[in-house]
Amino acid sequence: MTSTDALILTLSTNLGPVRRRSVSREIGALVVLAAGELALILMAGGMRPDMGGVILAPFMAWKIGGLALLAGVSCAVAIRSFAPPAASRRDLVYALVLTVFVMAAGLFVTTAAESGQPLIERLSPARGLGCATAIVVLALPLMSLLAVLMRRAAPVHPKRSALASGLAAATSGALVFTVCCPANDPLYIVVWYSAGIAAVAAAARWLLPRGYRL
Amino acid sequence: MAAAQDGHGGAYRRLLNETSDWLHRYFRRRLPPGDVDDAVQEALLAIHRRRHTFDPRHPFGPWMAAIAKRKWVDQLRTIARRPTEELSDELAVADHETAVTSATTLASLLVQLRPAQAQAIMMVKLQGYSIEDACRETGLTASAVKMNIHRGLARLTALIEDADDFH
Repeated sequence: MTSTDALILTLSTNLGPVRRRSVSREIGALVVLAAGELALILMAGGMRPDMGGVILAPFMAWKIGGLALLAGVSCAVAIRSFAPPAASRRDLVYALVLTVFVMAAGLFVTTAAESGQPLIERLSPARGLGCATAIVVLALPLMSLLAVLMRRAAPVHPKRSALASGLAAATSGALVFTVCCPANDPLYIVVWYSAGIAAVAAAARWLLPRGYRL
Repeated sequence: MAAAQDGHGGAYRRLLNETSDWLHRYFRRRLPPGDVDDAVQEALLAIHRRRHTFDPRHPFGPWMAAIAKRKWVDQLRTIARRPTEELSDELAVADHETAVTSATTLASLLVQLRPAQAQAIMMVKLQGYSIEDACRETGLTASAVKMNIHRGLARLTALIEDADDFH
């Protein structure tokens, strides 16, 4: 008996049933976690006070609609990449291109009143860094959950899966953050939301594949 | 595999035996002879550990092939990290024909590397030359041969990993 035969015998002896991976359960866990974050913000009174008045404004439709689209697409790409034989580069490229496209689209919804202000005032770096940090903080629990899901599954391209997970966590975190973010200027949102999303995606790409072995 | 997921040991044993034959053929074309058994066993272990991720609505072949490809990349990384002198002694085989005709897929991929890197990998990793013999044949220093092997394998690993359609 060769060592491979012995291994097969060992693996197939006393074999118990396994709980199959469920994509719907994974999506459910992500939705529950994001909803939990949202509930905490609302319970803490963190929602912007003028939400009722701005909810129908064009910039808000772009912000919420665009981020919801990005969160949905990137979560789908990430979860799809967790099991063989998926994790195609094309899916990830589409998600990244869509992210750039949606964020860049914000530059076209700038109102006349905002576009007359000096650039430094519009960007407000001190406040913007706070917004980017808030997105990172809100993305961390989602990124941790995606890291657990990734390691429990079988990604055959861990770097791609990690980047997709980072993008999913970041865009979901940014979506949750829209309820308390007081910024109305799309340029500000494009710059600082993009910074937060890029930071989370880069961290995930660097951290998540570490120590992973199929 | 669906039966194995439900705990059917007999079905699982048959599946692993058939998979093992396929993996042996797969890795024989892609790895030096001394690394084939390790790669097969690593792939079988990965299939066992990750069997819960197989979706019975989809065919088993592409799922297994994706895991095998990942293990191929892992094994190439292991070869690249391994000290070259020790490896050359292990890989020196008596049957020269076996060494030359094995790893045909890997050998065909070498054309994508710089000629010096491809030559060093072919001689030391696939044909069982020692570093000293490779130095004599190529006229390079030992450190240059080792560097060509290391960089060539790293480049090869990246090429295989990035190619979606290459199995």
